[in-house]
Amino acid sequence: MADTIVGQRGVLESLVQALIAGGHIVLEGPPGLAKTLACRALATAVGGSFKRVQFTPDLLPSDIVGTRIFDQRSGEFTTVLGPIFANVVLADEINRAPAKVQSALLEAMQERQVTIGPQTFPLPEPFVVTATMNPLDSEGTYALPLAQMDRFLVKVLVDYPGPEEEVRILNRFGGATPALPENVVSVADVLAWRDQAYAVHLEPRLARYAVDLVAATRAPHDYVERGASPRATLAIAALARARALLDGRDFALPDDVRAAAPDALRHRLAFNYRLLTDRVDPERIVADLIAGVPTP
Amino acid sequence: MDIFAPFVAPAAAQQLVRLHVRQFEMSADPVSLRIGETLRLKIVARVDENLLELDEVTLPDLSGFESLGDERQCATAYRGSRCTETITLTPTVAGDRTIAGATLEAIDASSGRAVRFSSNSVVVHVAGAPLPNYFWQGLLEGLIRPFAILLLVAALGYAALWGWRRRPKPVVAEPPASSAPPPVPVQAAPAAPPALHGLVETLVRAPSRANLLAVRAELRRRIGARDEETLADLRARGATRGDADLDAALRATEFAAFADDARLDGAITRALEPLQRLVSPPAGAMT
Repeated sequence: MADTIVGQRGVLESLVQALIAGGHIVLEGPPGLAKTLACRALATAVGGSFKRVQFTPDLLPSDIVGTRIFDQRSGEFTTVLGPIFANVVLADEINRAPAKVQSALLEAMQERQVTIGPQTFPLPEPFVVTATMNPLDSEGTYALPLAQMDRFLVKVLVDYPGPEEEVRILNRFGGATPALPENVVSVADVLAWRDQAYAVHLEPRLARYAVDLVAATRAPHDYVERGASPRATLAIAALARARALLDGRDFALPDDVRAAAPDALRHRLAFNYRLLTDRVDPERIVADLIAGVPTP
Repeated sequence: MDIFAPFVAPAAAQQLVRLHVRQFEMSADPVSLRIGETLRLKIVARVDENLLELDEVTLPDLSGFESLGDERQCATAYRGSRCTETITLTPTVAGDRTIAGATLEAIDASSGRAVRFSSNSVVVHVAGAPLPNYFWQGLLEGLIRPFAILLLVAALGYAALWGWRRRPKPVVAEPPASSAPPPVPVQAAPAAPPALHGLVETLVRAPSRANLLAVRAELRRRIGARDEETLADLRARGATRGDADLDAALRATEFAAFADDARLDGAITRALEPLQRLVSPPAGAMT
């Protein structure tokens, strides 16, 4: 993936950690920062099925999960499965579709199965939704409610590249589009990594540290209206284990837990209006909350 | 936070809100100022309930101060609210002023009784107003100018005395210098503090997680690690100052401290190697 995406090392690491941790990913950043390309590179690198859905205001839930159609020749209803039945699903610009479409997708993300008419269809394993959002063009978008954002394991912020990275982007993408890495790992590899990640040891003191980090978001705060849910604690632990595994360890360290915290927390906090009126960067709030918790 | 209960007549008590009051404090910033300067008196109430506003706070007597503004806000979170009232004041009278505690009247939700919560009082030291310019001009003319003249005379006298003392003196032959080199001070090799040495020895004798954690805590203390700093933070800020042994010991101890119980013995053995290098004096050093 690093051969395809210039820079954005942290984004790529977060993507791989979330893949191993078995969660869904939302990438947020201005247009033109290779969010979609990063998701496509992840999908093609994992040798499974890949589907992309461009979210638009006129999208319907059946366009995502599938529908039942009447077959005139057989005289029966048959089910046509939607693009959600893939190992990696790219939901591009997820906030451009209305709430009922988002709900259809997010329900599938949580339950890992889809019910169409009388039948329930399990989704393939692994099943990873990578969604992208653009924070700048708010016109014609439907903000995801907090309860739905909570379904994403991580929210990764994609920032502008540095000057040297931008020169490398120019050299790499100035001519023909480079090929994406294909089948670097198999679906079986990903499932095996997940099993190994589950086995990574998380000391009780580290588990407590993860709980304390999430609890810090629930304390009364001038800018935070509502803190993170216990799902955030689970997310931090899973990401810390994945990070430790990628670092070649069978035990997690305080560094793993703390490094996982921003990606797991930033989309789970509800900020109040004062954040906007005082022009405070929410990332600063998250960073301060994390920095205020003593490490074990 | 002090509580005086009961205080309210039953009819009035029915109009009070039910609150779990966890904190009710008052502070002033600054606590020492002059007349004409401003201070911020902050009253903080933290309750378990979600509130948009808290009107039940009664401000203390602020005689001797002029109020320049008052701001109230409540920040709500998943469990509770933090309401603050900030009053900007300027003192009008000099001297030590004690501002009595603010009060909060509510139904104590834990006991169901009407109570009056009282915050702490604060003491503010108010000095007189800044001196006007003509005072400084008078001081300059009346005191500083004669003092400057006196200083100049004293400096001239000292210069004359210094010149007299440095007049040429008769030369006296000195004994020949000794050819022996000056003695070199013997410097002991830097040794680890006994605390770490002893803790490592204990870990060698009894390899356990508790003993390992004690060594880790001592290592972190030695390099001035703050509570919120992780291993990556310490290495990023160069806390070990290029000491390879200390760096290796810190890393190995950290790894062992969070290893699984089944692998703890091996991890401690690996950690002991750099630890013993760290606490044992260098070869050839005087101990």
